[in-house]
Amino acid sequence: MTESIDLSKGQETPTSPAVSSSSTLLNVDDIEVRYGTIRALKGVSFHVNEGEIVALLGANGAGKTTTQKTVSGMLRPSLGAITYDGKRIDGIPAHELIRLGICHVPEGRHVFPRMTVHENLEMGAFRFKKIDQTDLDNVLEMFPRLKERYKQLGGTLSGGEQQMLAIGRALMGKPRLLLLDEPSMGLAPLVVAQIFEILRDINNSGVTVLLVEQNAAQALGLADRGYVLETGEIVLEGTGSDLLADDRIRAAYLGEEIAAS
Amino acid sequence: MNTATRATLRRLAACLLGGFVLALMVGRQEGSLNDFGISFHQAVVGPRIFVFLLIGLVIFVMVTFWPRVVPYLTRPGVAPLGAGLLAVLAAQTVMNWYDPLVSSTGNGKFSGVRTAANASPNLSSVSVAFFGWLAWTLVIAALVACAAAIVTRVRVFGYVTAAIGIVGAVLAYVAHSAVVDLDGGIDHSLGVYADIVGFLLLACAGITAVHARAEVADTRGFLRKVMGYRPGLPIAALGVILGLLAFSTAGWFGALQINDTLAQAHSDFDGTGISSLALNYLGWLGWTLFGAAAVLSLAATYLRNRMLAWVSLILSVVGVVLTFLTLRSMTDIGAQVAPQFGGTWKNLGAGGFLACIVFSLFAAATAMVISSTSAGVRRNVRAKAPTDELPVTSMVKGFRRSSNAMPLLIIGGALALFYPPTLTLTWQNVLVGQIGVFVLLAVGLNVVVGWAGLLDLGYIAFYEIGSYTTAYLVGALPVKPPSWLQMSPLVSIPFAILACLIAGVLLGAPTLRLRGDYLAIVTLGFGEIIQILAVNNPGGFTGGPQGPTVPHPRIHLGGINITWGQDNLPYWYLLLIMLIVVIVLFYRLEGSRLGRAWAAIREDEVAAQASGVNTTRVKLLAFAIGASTSALAGSFFATQVGYFDPSLFTLQASILIVAYVVFGGMGSLQGAIAGAAVLTWLPQFLKAQVPQDDRQMWIGALVLAMMIFRPAGLLPAKRRKAELEGLDAAASSETAAVPRAGAM
Ligand SMILES: Nc1ncnc2c1ncn2[C@@H]1O[C@H](COP(=O)(O)OP(=O)(O)O)[C@@H](O)[C@H]1O
Ligand SMILES: [Mg+2]
Repeated sequence: MTESIDLSKGQETPTSPAVSSSSTLLNVDDIEVRYGTIRALKGVSFHVNEGEIVALLGANGAGKTTTQKTVSGMLRPSLGAITYDGKRIDGIPAHELIRLGICHVPEGRHVFPRMTVHENLEMGAFRFKKIDQTDLDNVLEMFPRLKERYKQLGGTLSGGEQQMLAIGRALMGKPRLLLLDEPSMGLAPLVVAQIFEILRDINNSGVTVLLVEQNAAQALGLADRGYVLETGEIVLEGTGSDLLADDRIRAAYLGEEIAAS
Repeated sequence: MNTATRATLRRLAACLLGGFVLALMVGRQEGSLNDFGISFHQAVVGPRIFVFLLIGLVIFVMVTFWPRVVPYLTRPGVAPLGAGLLAVLAAQTVMNWYDPLVSSTGNGKFSGVRTAANASPNLSSVSVAFFGWLAWTLVIAALVACAAAIVTRVRVFGYVTAAIGIVGAVLAYVAHSAVVDLDGGIDHSLGVYADIVGFLLLACAGITAVHARAEVADTRGFLRKVMGYRPGLPIAALGVILGLLAFSTAGWFGALQINDTLAQAHSDFDGTGISSLALNYLGWLGWTLFGAAAVLSLAATYLRNRMLAWVSLILSVVGVVLTFLTLRSMTDIGAQVAPQFGGTWKNLGAGGFLACIVFSLFAAATAMVISSTSAGVRRNVRAKAPTDELPVTSMVKGFRRSSNAMPLLIIGGALALFYPPTLTLTWQNVLVGQIGVFVLLAVGLNVVVGWAGLLDLGYIAFYEIGSYTTAYLVGALPVKPPSWLQMSPLVSIPFAILACLIAGVLLGAPTLRLRGDYLAIVTLGFGEIIQILAVNNPGGFTGGPQGPTVPHPRIHLGGINITWGQDNLPYWYLLLIMLIVVIVLFYRLEGSRLGRAWAAIREDEVAAQASGVNTTRVKLLAFAIGASTSALAGSFFATQVGYFDPSLFTLQASILIVAYVVFGGMGSLQGAIAGAAVLTWLPQFLKAQVPQDDRQMWIGALVLAMMIFRPAGLLPAKRRKAELEGLDAAASSETAAVPRAGAM
């Protein structure tokens, strides 16, 4: 979309570029990411406060995955800055960011197919010398399905169970900021609802969540705030309920027929 | 003619044609490109064509009646029947039975012995009959009886099979020893032993077929039950049998072409000034030690008495030491009496070393009793039932050590120490220069290919760099190192490893971001470059295609003086130390954090990265560790062969090592060892068994068959097996996967 869109009415958050308040955990400032000559992100800015759930929405190819991979350290931005907990983190590789508590659940349910559920969860705690038994118990309590399939190989799980395993594995790394990339992809509505329920629990236990979704209705229902990404740029932002009420969002992502305004 | 008959006829024609083609392929291919006629004539015209047509016919019958046979294939007794038949067939067709015949007539196989037996009037009629017609008749009778036992489950058939099998085994032994007694000479052949094992397996098949209660064969469960009945008892029993052979019939001293048994050695060495300990050992002490250790270990394993086990263990260790001392003083005397033939550790027969192995077997058996608590015994007996409790640290601890590990280690150690001295010089050469070195290489490559999942086709380059680094540092290259850097071969090993570490990192750092095929191509190019560099002799550094001459290693440390020379056996012990160090190190590595990281990137690189694995560093480490193992092997090789040239380090060698790893089972340490050992041993073994031209064909056939029937490799890694057999197959147990035989 080429026209610049003014922010929807009733916007509560300040419209100036994200101001780092004392509770800002993650601040992404005008980052540009390139794949060779392709500019996938053309100056993206947003912030995530401690304890929030923030949703990043957008159509296919908008740059959501790219944004998240950049935050988690799998990609490095060519311009701009990312600050986490007051420190610059852009350019720091993923395996070091995990030590700071940034855990990533990549797009497409990457579980280790030939490791058991148990071994998968153990890999999540790879950064620790020993796995924390209470973490393991918590994860298994959160996902009883995983407990039932404890010795089954990851690759033999159903799609929903694999997604649960991927989330559980990330939780084993004791995240402070949890990045989730389209956890609802390809799952039945009932399973999606279940997973979003669990995400709320995770957030309630004190983990900040940055959620990438195409499933706007579900994501905005859960999120405190949301940003809409379009061809590498943020075009909309607002609280979850505001965005949910926004006509353009409803038209573009919720598939509702809106009378021509 | 309906379609069914027509199809059958077409199949018959195809099978006969196949037999015809096989006849053309197998056998000495004489003649030149211009006269195919000669080889065609030899292959086709003559009675041997009927053998091949018969093979075609048999295949036809097998294919046609296969569906009728299938329901019986899961019955108990089928597995030992197959194994026994295979062993007997191999023994009576391709294996050697009597080595002196090879040198005199060129054929020491079963058929060669038959010809010789028919021509010697003094041979007992039983032997003549056995080699003539009895052996094959027994095989066929056993096959028929066993098939009847499997199909009908009538006990008598099983007993008849067992009787035939045992008679066959005994007759094979009797007939073979009659031939050896009559003709003398040094015989290392293994045919008769394979034959005995085969016949005994047939006997087991008969018994299993009629006595198993289950409808469906659970071979592994059966084996577990046998081994778990009294842990260690089978090992002790094996020790008794081997011990009887060692102390009564085996050769103990073989200078001047005489094979002295223990008793003969006693009379020969009496009065030569041999130490009284050795003389007593040869006279009565050896037998007494053996008898006591045998009785004690049998009793200890049967009664599961730890007290007895400890006594027997100590006695066994004493037995090994005394045997060793005796052998040593025998060769000392031998060196004094006949210096032109003798020498320390020279001319010893198999008997003494076999005795050492026997005592080690007793030690292993009793170690099993000592290490297994009462709970352990129960665990052994009960088939490993899936447990419900959640293991907390399955991967952290690495794979669980079974209670069988210790005795296996003792037996393996005993074989590695005491078996090589009994080999012929040729086989010692093969053991060091082929088997040992390539096992070391395969173990190193397994880290790169099997564990980290990086296909490295230039692996031999590191071997080459290792060899040349050692050659440079000992001053064997045209360009000499500065005098302060010149060193002896063994000292150069760490430097060779360092050089390859650096080379590995230099190659790996820019290329490891490539995946799969691309990495393979880059490493392949690297291997070629290194080889061509060595040939092209840049700056006169490598000496070009001639290659360097490297001195043999030597240790002068305080009072210890060890020199290695032409004899291969001492190199074996040097190599064994290296192998043990590397294998123990890698074993620990597999269960370590690094091992888990490798498993993770092999499984899913994105997920590994998301789990906090530093993928670049971990891959680089795999590459570097592989490279330095290769360097160790190369350095050893350079100083062992003494002279090498760059034509050895070809792409073909790299590919062969990859093949060893794949054949053994990618990602499995045991697999890499077994794969390299089997595939380096086999060509040498086949040398004496099949015509030179057919060798590659047989090896190819084996590899093919292997990849069809055990695609995950000889000793597959757990995870890799799941990859190839599908994820579901790995989850279900063996017995569940075998379909129940229907109503018959
Ligand atoms: N590895 C890559 N190489 C080149 N272009 C890429 C790569 N990954 C993503 N892109 C491009 O970057 C843009 C954003 O992709 P992505 O972040 O995956 O979008 P989303 O996750 O929102 O669907 C797309 O136009 C896509 O084609
Ligand atoms: Mg995406």
